[in-house]
Amino acid sequence: MYLIKKSDVLRLAEELGKTHDLYGPFMEPATKQAMFERVGKAADIDLAAPIPALPPKHALLPHYEKILAYSYDKKTQKVDLAPIYDDRPKALFGVRPCDLTGILCLDRFFLGQEFLDEVYKYHRKNLFIVSQTCVAPFKQCFCVCCDGGPAASEGYDLNLTDLGDTYLVEAGSEKGKKLAEAMGLAAADAKHQAEKTRRIDKCITLFDSVATDNKAWISRVMNRVTTGFIDEAVWEYIGNQCFECGACSFVCPTCSCFNIVDLPRKNGGAHESDRVRTWDSCSYEGYTREAGGHNPRKPVEDRRNKRFFCKLSYSQSKKYLRPGCVGCGRCQWVCPGDIGLPNVVTYIRREIHS
Amino acid sequence: MMENGKIVTIPAVATIDEIKDEIPNVRTYYLSFDDKAIDGAFTFRSGQFIMLTVFGEGECAISLPPSPEKDRFHITVRSVGKVTRALGGLSAGDKVGVRGPFGNGFPFDEIKGKNVVFVAGGIGLIPLRSSIVHVLQHRKDFGRVILLSGSRTPSDIMYKYNMKEWQENCEAFYTVDNPTPDWTGETGFVHTLIEKAKVPVENTVAFVCGPPVMFNTVNQELMKRGLSDEFIISTLERHMKCGVGKCQHCAVGRTLVCTDGPVYTYRQIKILGEQI
Repeated sequence: MYLIKKSDVLRLAEELGKTHDLYGPFMEPATKQAMFERVGKAADIDLAAPIPALPPKHALLPHYEKILAYSYDKKTQKVDLAPIYDDRPKALFGVRPCDLTGILCLDRFFLGQEFLDEVYKYHRKNLFIVSQTCVAPFKQCFCVCCDGGPAASEGYDLNLTDLGDTYLVEAGSEKGKKLAEAMGLAAADAKHQAEKTRRIDKCITLFDSVATDNKAWISRVMNRVTTGFIDEAVWEYIGNQCFECGACSFVCPTCSCFNIVDLPRKNGGAHESDRVRTWDSCSYEGYTREAGGHNPRKPVEDRRNKRFFCKLSYSQSKKYLRPGCVGCGRCQWVCPGDIGLPNVVTYIRREIHS
Repeated sequence: MMENGKIVTIPAVATIDEIKDEIPNVRTYYLSFDDKAIDGAFTFRSGQFIMLTVFGEGECAISLPPSPEKDRFHITVRSVGKVTRALGGLSAGDKVGVRGPFGNGFPFDEIKGKNVVFVAGGIGLIPLRSSIVHVLQHRKDFGRVILLSGSRTPSDIMYKYNMKEWQENCEAFYTVDNPTPDWTGETGFVHTLIEKAKVPVENTVAFVCGPPVMFNTVNQELMKRGLSDEFIISTLERHMKCGVGKCQHCAVGRTLVCTDGPVYTYRQIKILGEQI
């Protein structure tokens, strides 16, 4: 454990920026929203910015990414295949605990199943994560319902906690420790640790008065969602409100469904193509449509319940080693149909009680 | 590059050695891998599938009709979507990409000694061919072997050239929905053959593959006779992008068709609670 003066904390980012592509939160002037994107310099980062509109998953799973470049010349029958892996060192500075939890879910899903995702593996290879403890919730937050926050317990290289005029810096990995040592940070003691605990406790007590938008008693519905004992009418009600816009999937820290298309290469030769991987959402009708036109999941409610099955079932939790929802509240924030996850949990609970 | 006997990430280049016209719009493509090491090492189980790349067009999931033993490697494809139509435009000597094999495959070890009934609707016979040939190669390991095939018209019958051979080696019945004047066989939907063939239900396993309507009717008919839904086995078709359990397009209930399927029992399908 180390300490760093508040005015000096971005020196850590600056140091990381020397060897890594630096990502961090900042207020975007045009939209007046907090974003988590690549920054030009460490000074652009604003650790006090509220929870960013999009989670940092795009650093590991970009919206649009070329994964294979190939050419096939029919005249000569020559095929060239060149996989594209991105292992640039990236540093995510000031990641919120819910978003870090999301990254850990993606790690387990992409790297821990029967097959390993090569593309993700390379993105992850040289990633440096600096998380920050939330000392106060935001209006939309319900991480306390999902064990997604307000403090990170694993998965970071360094974790920052605001103690007033200093930050407590905890190392969670060897490379985190190495950086803290190299920066010559002062040592922290048990007193600072106790202050961190006090601030986390304070944060949790603030949920009742501050985080008023959402509550989601997910443990109450996990059993129902897993076993499928939920009245069809509930899903139909939820389906009827869905605009099929896909926004919930795109802002979700754990949603990782993707589409793959082969496109002719821009400004390339006639035989050159790129295989492109893009974000996808199970709310789209074309998501399960087969080549012949048959669609086994045509009604919108069949597709909606799939998403909540991913977030709330035991079966999917086995892949993430925790629930698929981290409690960031973004889906509720963006949903034009008012069927973000907390509301869906409420609808299912209502059905249980009636 | 192969990992655990599978081509996982980067497609392996294969050459189309020969193309054979089957029924209208359906062709068989005999393939061999350009990398001789892969050509020798590539093995699969009946019921598994590959991800086929048509260069410049895209990738799609294709079932494997050859028997895993002593059979020429090939795929049989109907031109329907973007990729398969482009495949239809290729000629012998052209290159394609192959990843796989993926999926679980049919449970042959568990069904030894049982009667085997194959029920196919139209080109549903293509994914079943692998098992049919395999069962006939090991004919003495099984009890009665019955093949029931239904097609729209006589010219839509898949593997017509195997008809005589299959009728000699097992109880093979063919029916068409719309007969032509020269058709002398059965007429009607394929589930009507179940009665005609006197399909047994004791110690019996049925492999059913075909369009959703046919699938449901046949299963109801088999269960009406007393065959348990856990002995009705089918292979599901889904829109797929990765084949390795990551893109999640093929999710059925809590399972993924690419890694947990494509072979399911009808009981599993019913429990998963999704449309076919």
